Amino acid sequence: MTDSSRIAQTEEGAEAPRIIDADVHNAIGHKDHLLPFLPKAFHEQWLRGGPGYGGGYYGNNSVNRSDAVTDTGGAPGSDPLFLKKHHLDRYGIDYAVLTGSGILGISLNPDPDFGNAVASAYNDWLVETWLKASPQYKGSILVNHSDPPEAAKEIERMARHKDMVQVIMCSGSRQLFGQRVFHPIYEAAARHNLPVAIHPGTEGRGIAGPPTPSGHPTRYLEWHNILPTNYMAHVNSLVCEGVFEKFPEMVFVAIEGGLAWLPHLMWRMDKNYKGLRDTVPWLKKLPSEYIRKHIRLTTQPIEEPERKDHLNAIFDMIDADHMVMFSSDYPHWDFDNPQIALQQIRKPLRDRIFARNAMDLYGLHTRPQVGEGAVRA
Amino acid sequence: MTTKTRHDVASLEELREKGRLIVQVGKAEIGLFEVDGEVRAWRNLCPHAFAPVCEGRVCGTRLASNVYEYVYGRDQEILRCPWHGWEFDLKTGQHLAGEQKLRGYKAEVEEGRVYIEM
Ligand code: FES
Repeated sequence: MTDSSRIAQTEEGAEAPRIIDADVHNAIGHKDHLLPFLPKAFHEQWLRGGPGYGGGYYGNNSVNRSDAVTDTGGAPGSDPLFLKKHHLDRYGIDYAVLTGSGILGISLNPDPDFGNAVASAYNDWLVETWLKASPQYKGSILVNHSDPPEAAKEIERMARHKDMVQVIMCSGSRQLFGQRVFHPIYEAAARHNLPVAIHPGTEGRGIAGPPTPSGHPTRYLEWHNILPTNYMAHVNSLVCEGVFEKFPEMVFVAIEGGLAWLPHLMWRMDKNYKGLRDTVPWLKKLPSEYIRKHIRLTTQPIEEPERKDHLNAIFDMIDADHMVMFSSDYPHWDFDNPQIALQQIRKPLRDRIFARNAMDLYGLHTRPQVGEGAVRA
Repeated sequence: MTTKTRHDVASLEELREKGRLIVQVGKAEIGLFEVDGEVRAWRNLCPHAFAPVCEGRVCGTRLASNVYEYVYGRDQEILRCPWHGWEFDLKTGQHLAGEQKLRGYKAEVEEGRVYIEM
């Protein structure tokens, strides 16, 4: 994009990023690519069984955009150079926060030792293959949330890489994320000032609970429609369990879970809190205030109401313009094109969404020092 | 400003016997409570949705605490609305989880009688 009005100057006079994409899926092109980073003892399990968290729905669109197959016929999202050309350069995206592909659900493999080993291997592969390829790529430390003490160790191990900007785990789970069994993960993330992100798509798979409390939706469409209910459940849990009282600096990023449900959840939580405060005596303010301070959301798949003003009305109700970050979900089928996806949103907020909010969260205040196509081999 | 009138509303002995009294002054119902040796008078109308709040439970509560700690306190100093359970501080009228307050009146005890000004 060449909208020069969006190019802000930072204090030092360096140019600020124009677009930061908070959800880009980098794929492992071939299972073999992980082997140099995986202990030999797990090679066969990985090669023959893959991440092994089963299930999933049939959608008539493949999960990936069919136009995103790489120049050499590789899997969409598997080539740092191609991704830069095909996505970042085309849309003027300065930074891509990488969220992995086909591996996030490793927390849902029944074998926690395998899950831990694969998560570690993925993280090392991510550093070598992507983060070293271009300063435009920023990484998310993948953890196995089914084994929180080990997940915390993995955060300790990887946090020293300055290009790792957050922790990520799948939103499919056996338990709600506020519960104290998960607190070691948050403690480690907080120690290193890293946000913790969740990504959907594994609801009902592997050892996760069913996608709804009344079981499994019948078809992909139905399952995909209702994913945000799991996000509501996790956000509700994080607030009520006092995670943000215990870790006052922690930020939790709810990727790809929609956002129009947020006003409802805030209002309902506040209303109930007024009568049931004594059941959560550690909360010192209204639940919605914790949400505004500690939760971030990403845009894709942005709700598309018929009336343009309705989306802005939702943002008014949330009343927190710092909470939302642009994401495309490249190269998945439900990709949002930055040139049109946010047109309905009022301009000052749109500018915050494209870059400012992610700059503040991830500390990405200046544009990367690269030209187009400049990927280090 | 309209001038206030002093109303003789109850005997202290009866208030102590019953634990609380709801009295009528003009059109208004007023709840009387003795808290920590002082008489408090609150309008019997919850600021949330107009329940007869003074008929709610008088109790204590869990005080603000650290995560997963439970500290009981304020015994007999909290009034809990019988409808949606909002807790009010019987000394100040303040809702413990928000901005709203009970409407209160000045109460005095003289020679065994309770007077309120309104
Ligand atoms: S009317 Fe008193 S709490 Fe609702």
